[in-house]
Amino acid sequence: MDPKALAFLAAGLGAGMSVIGAGVGIGKLAASALEAAGRQPEASGKLQTMMIIAAALIEGVALFAEVISLLLAIK
Amino acid sequence: MSNLSEVKIQQNVGIAQTQSSNLQVTQTKSVNLKDTTQSHSEAKQEEGNVISDILQEHLLDHHSYNFFNVFHIDLPIILYDKQLYLYPSVKSMMAEGTFTEIHHQIVRKDTQQPPKLDMSVTALVMFQWLSILLLLFVFITSAKKYKKQPKAAPKGLQNMLEVMVLYIRDEIVRPNISSKRLADVLSPYFVALFFFILVMNLFGLIPGGHSATGNLAVTAGLAIIAYFVINGSAVLHVGFSHWLKEFTGGAPWWIWIIMIPIEILSMFTKPFALTIRLFANMTAGHVIIFSLLGLIFMLHTFAIVPISIGFSLFIYVLELLVAFIQAYVFTILTAVFVGLTTAEHSLEH
Repeated sequence: MDPKALAFLAAGLGAGMSVIGAGVGIGKLAASALEAAGRQPEASGKLQTMMIIAAALIEGVALFAEVISLLLAIK
Repeated sequence: MSNLSEVKIQQNVGIAQTQSSNLQVTQTKSVNLKDTTQSHSEAKQEEGNVISDILQEHLLDHHSYNFFNVFHIDLPIILYDKQLYLYPSVKSMMAEGTFTEIHHQIVRKDTQQPPKLDMSVTALVMFQWLSILLLLFVFITSAKKYKKQPKAAPKGLQNMLEVMVLYIRDEIVRPNISSKRLADVLSPYFVALFFFILVMNLFGLIPGGHSATGNLAVTAGLAIIAYFVINGSAVLHVGFSHWLKEFTGGAPWWIWIIMIPIEILSMFTKPFALTIRLFANMTAGHVIIFSLLGLIFMLHTFAIVPISIGFSLFIYVLELLVAFIQAYVFTILTAVFVGLTTAEHSLEH
């Protein structure tokens, strides 16, 4: 196969697979945060802040993967 | 498309010039039509290139600002290469002849090398200045109101600002930074950081505007300031020796071989992650909106228009949310990092 085609394939697959990981991560995070807020509604404000911080960290890792995929695709 | 218009022009010219030679006109027409069918796939390829060119034009930085061809501002070029060069626009720089522009990059004509220092006022710098001016205007007018009537209840814009500033102080800075004195010293920095990022993000959502935070250099600059605030406040607050001791993490000496490199690395990955997060979030929204609108031109059908417009409107509203969330996330993560480096670990060990 053409190496250029392989690079594009790798970029697409890499972008998609990193999104799967981030999706699972943020989904689990939101699920447990909602559960915790349901158990203890008075702590929901604090939980929201912590949830956003954790979500931002997960998203950051996913974005690194996306940037690498983008570099593969436009190089 | 261009071939078709050529046919029309040739037809008109043919009719006007020689009314009798209809034969010739039809001949050229048929030849051109044949060309059109042959180059149809090429034209499609070209349209894809045009869309990606427009996208790059929108995302990259420029030495001039063009508002929908209604008005055009030439921005000054300031270069330093052994001596200072000042030009009012790219055109005058090209006319002078020392430098030339190749693929959006300024290079020396004789050596083909970029200048040592490029301090030009570009479109994104202009938008940063615009957001600074807007913030100065908004905050100075509301500060004057406080001075005039310190007891009166805030109204309108002042009211909105008070809510946001108090939120940043009470929900972002104070809970994360344990020392109250340090929290109060750093509050103005966090308020400025939040509003500056927010306004820059929102400028990208106005038609004709660019979001300066969609550029790596801008977000890296913000993150470098955050790096100095994080480590500077740690050194000033807990002392240099304590700051150095943090690298060992209070672990036994034989773990230091692993601990110290990891801690030093994490000192630099924090601002790096801040840089990439803000940049990627802002760029991704613009790219998605452009790709959705580009579908119309790629698929050559009106059926896709409602879908494209609907989805890009949805993404636009999402972008509005993302502009706020990313400003908030940048601010709160900086606050968390300051809190981590300045925390007193006396209770832990």
